[in-house]
Amino acid sequence: MSDEPLVRVDDLRKRYGDEEVLRGISFEMGRQDVQVLVGPSGSGKSTLLRCVNRLTEFQGGEIALDGTPVTEMDVDDLRRQVGMVFQDFNLFAHLTAKENIMLGPRRVLGKSEAAAAERALDELDRVGLSAQADSYPGELSGGQKQRVGIARALAMDPKLLLFDEPTSALDPELIGEVVEVMEDLAEGGMTMLVVTHEMGFARAAATDIMFLDQGTIVEHGPPEKLFENPEHERTAQFLERLTRLHGETR
Amino acid sequence: MADPVLALGALSADWQYVFGNVDYLLGGLWVTVGLTVASLLVGFVAGLPAAVVEVYGGRYSSALVRNVGVVLRGTPIVVIIMLAYFAFGLSPAFLAATAALGFRSGAYQTQIFRGAIESVDGGQMEAARAVGLSKVQAVRHVVLPQALRRSVPGFQNEVTIVLKDTSIAFAIGLAELFTKSADLYQSIGHTTATFELIVFISALYFVLTFVTNRSLEALNNAVAIPGGNGR
Repeated sequence: MSDEPLVRVDDLRKRYGDEEVLRGISFEMGRQDVQVLVGPSGSGKSTLLRCVNRLTEFQGGEIALDGTPVTEMDVDDLRRQVGMVFQDFNLFAHLTAKENIMLGPRRVLGKSEAAAAERALDELDRVGLSAQADSYPGELSGGQKQRVGIARALAMDPKLLLFDEPTSALDPELIGEVVEVMEDLAEGGMTMLVVTHEMGFARAAATDIMFLDQGTIVEHGPPEKLFENPEHERTAQFLERLTRLHGETR
Repeated sequence: MADPVLALGALSADWQYVFGNVDYLLGGLWVTVGLTVASLLVGFVAGLPAAVVEVYGGRYSSALVRNVGVVLRGTPIVVIIMLAYFAFGLSPAFLAATAALGFRSGAYQTQIFRGAIESVDGGQMEAARAVGLSKVQAVRHVVLPQALRRSVPGFQNEVTIVLKDTSIAFAIGLAELFTKSADLYQSIGHTTATFELIVFISALYFVLTFVTNRSLEALNNAVAIPGGNGR
């Protein structure tokens, strides 16, 4: 199955009542690809992300992970393999940073307390938060919370990481520390599907950028092409605006 | 130290009657405390799962729980306790009183826990599911530990309400604190001590509620999450 793409999305359709929010999305991601999704709000990018780990169900088309349609997989098994990082962090408020990371390995992977703790400390070290292992979410800054969120996803050894606007809830001066961690991950070969407005990250780390509008792909290609030589005027305008608003933050 | 007999001698005959029967009344106090603890326990064991079902259950199971709660909360406690003892024939009276107060408290505790569960941000449930936890695991390891902490102030209210409502067991003759005081003021020749007896047992109820309130406030502080509820 090595020639099979890691993610294959084929004619994906999703409706909320009468409103079709995804209208036939198709693309593929190879291993170690970093796919960045951009688009105006309501374009369906977060919905697309949530279809991949089935936090939301879709009505038409197919998403396959490693060749297996996600709808045929056990949903908890699917989520074991696909990590997710949220806009609002969604850390478990009653658990320390370390315990937040340990919960999945303990309860889902059945690791021992000691093994899960060791792994949690490794992941905290990777995101530069060793000193905060015993801090509760309420005691962390937004940037620190999001790095714990990333560490929590990494501790499950996911094949694919989903990022749903990971820096949108952060104060501007805290964005850099999170983007840095994401760039390190991309460099380290993590396969990532990222909804973000951070054009600095897109330029530096994306294999491909996909511009979504009203549930369809307007344009899809490597960052050089979309930034320098887009086919559509709309793409140029949108990316230029994003770069102005959320450009190179560092 | 004053001679207790001399000290009593300075009191009116009715107060002397009250203090002369302190041991008898304290016997009722222990029944009151036991009935309170047993009823709260029944209420907790029934109320917590009921709250989980009401929030996360299917359409029919949560509707069933909701409707049972509406009936229990809408019926006077004296009716419930009479039904338990005389209609359902639960015996001894302590059992009937525990069942009545317990299930009624369960209906109220359901609402306390339901509110607390719903106050835990839904994003945490989603994050738990995204890590691969099942719904049951997510409720158990993420939602309930936080919901229980947030339930303490509401539960504190419920404890004081149940404690005072144990006096309704008077209706079925259970020898708790209020019934014992009634035994005393209804004795021939002592009806004039009614006021003194009621004041005395009220003071005992007050001491009990005061102590439990302080204890639960301490518990609330002890289980507070460092840094608050920040995600």
